Amino acid sequence: MGKRWRHLVAALTGLGLGLAALGPGLAPGFVLSYDMVFTPDPAFTPMTFGLTGTVPRQVPSDAFVTALATVIPSDAVQKLVLLAIFVMACMSAASLVPSPRLLPRLAAGVCYAWNPFVAERLLLGQWALLLGYAALPWVVASAVRTCERGGTRRLVRALVLAAIGGFAALAMSGLVALVVALASSRSRGGERVNGAERLKGAVRVVGIVVVLSLPWLVPGALRPAGVPGDGTAVDVFAARADTPFGVLGSLLTLGGIWNGETVPRGYGTPVLAGFWLAVVLGSLFAYWKWCREPEWRRGAAVAAAVGFVLAALGAVAPPVLRGAVGLWSGFAVLRDGQQYVAPLAVVVAVGLGVAADKAIGARFPMIAVGAVAAPVLLLPTLAWGAAGDLRAVRYPADWARAREIINSDSAPGDVLVLPWALYRSYPWNHGRRVLDPLPRYLHRRVVVNDALIVGRTTIPAEDPRAIALALAAAHPDSATLRDRDVRYVVVDAETAKYRPIGAVPVLTGPDLAVYRVDGAKAGHEDRVPAAPVIVAWIAASAVVFWSFLIPGTTLGLPLLGSIRRRSPDRLPHHSRRAP
Amino acid sequence: MRIAIAALVGVLLAAGTSFGVVQLANSSQKDPVIKPMYNYGAP
Repeated sequence: MGKRWRHLVAALTGLGLGLAALGPGLAPGFVLSYDMVFTPDPAFTPMTFGLTGTVPRQVPSDAFVTALATVIPSDAVQKLVLLAIFVMACMSAASLVPSPRLLPRLAAGVCYAWNPFVAERLLLGQWALLLGYAALPWVVASAVRTCERGGTRRLVRALVLAAIGGFAALAMSGLVALVVALASSRSRGGERVNGAERLKGAVRVVGIVVVLSLPWLVPGALRPAGVPGDGTAVDVFAARADTPFGVLGSLLTLGGIWNGETVPRGYGTPVLAGFWLAVVLGSLFAYWKWCREPEWRRGAAVAAAVGFVLAALGAVAPPVLRGAVGLWSGFAVLRDGQQYVAPLAVVVAVGLGVAADKAIGARFPMIAVGAVAAPVLLLPTLAWGAAGDLRAVRYPADWARAREIINSDSAPGDVLVLPWALYRSYPWNHGRRVLDPLPRYLHRRVVVNDALIVGRTTIPAEDPRAIALALAAAHPDSATLRDRDVRYVVVDAETAKYRPIGAVPVLTGPDLAVYRVDGAKAGHEDRVPAAPVIVAWIAASAVVFWSFLIPGTTLGLPLLGSIRRRSPDRLPHHSRRAP
Repeated sequence: MRIAIAALVGVLLAAGTSFGVVQLANSSQKDPVIKPMYNYGAP
């Protein structure tokens, strides 16, 4: 089977997995789950670019979605993005298996696209992180060759998805690229690479990652309130056991997410978790024993080990991480440590593929077929919208009316959202938790309380405007709200319970109520200056554009081409297409 | 090509099996009512 056919089959398999996983989520409407918020007709607002003074976690993923939504309906954008994650995850992992056989490649692809990590992060709504995860095998393959001709461009292309994902995705992918560049000691031909070359490669990786990070790095750094980093969140977001094997065993099996509510149903039962652990251990053994890929084998293994240590840090040694966050708030990126088991997932997937390849070589093809099906059979509850948890819903009619009223009003002032909390369990969303969609749904500055409540712990608010409005939100009356430049109060849950005194009700529905505060002035807040952010976007976009500046290439082919040819000696050097 | 078809059929069968399991599990469940209403989640 030709190379392109192999990629096509992997892509189709990924598509099949995506369709199976999303199930009812593919119906018209939006899947709203924890951090996953898509809204109809999103608009470019200052918040989209992180200019409002909030922490720019939504940059640039919101801009990406908004741009796509100008061409196709935004609910279709969501389905497209989610399906693309499965397709690319399956393709990228499959392409990394050092075997021309199809079945081992599919085993790796299926394992990488269908595992507890994907299930838990999907349920937590972290599609942006999963975008980076999907391309991680390409990053591994590219990071080791940054010093070769075209290597820098290749790595930029491999990191584009992580760059779209933003802060968390790029932190994870950048770390993996850096470790692979530093730890890989062999070149494509199998020759030893010296330390200076590795250092040169690592410097290039850091440069690329910094440039691609500029769209969120600049507004984050120029944020008037500084970079927040709360030490108490270390315990809250530390990995936890979701199998009988403890925290470390759960991380090893690619689970262990901090949020107990986002573990797929049935996962962690002794039988299924035990089989899954056996698959993981067998894959790791196969990787160590039989994976003979000279370029990235060692780098990927070291990245997996480093990722595992980082993932376990918050659970095993929380004071260390708390101290690090206290020292420099940028270390807060390590608080939700479980995301760093992603490179371990790459190694496990490739190991499973290598094991399947070995089985075929030993004339046990049924073992290879079993390896392809095992991830799905051992995690059946990821199917059908993670057992019905991911369902498409439509925003209630009251929401559309509220948007019409607020968007058509030219008077200045912000929107305050009550109840004074960030997450909601709307009855119309089947009680599923979701980040309040109003800041994205309305095209004004919307102030919500961005303090996080996790179990019985509250992580303080970060948005200075929310902090300033906290007292007014606790006892809302029109005079106070007017003085604080609030034009509208929107109540999007328990509508009968909240009513600002003296405000004019303009919409009172069962799902949403809107009150107008007359006489409010334009909201003033310390914003991030736009000029440096524009420059940051231009710089990052220019680098991405430059990376694709090769005639006759497309987004897919150069990435696929970045994977080392199986028999490089068969082709003369000049005929190798620079991917 | 035959192996590819076999693999795809295998994945589809696995997906079908899991779909069946989920439907069985769902048939006895109602919508989750998560309390308290405003939490991000629970460890």
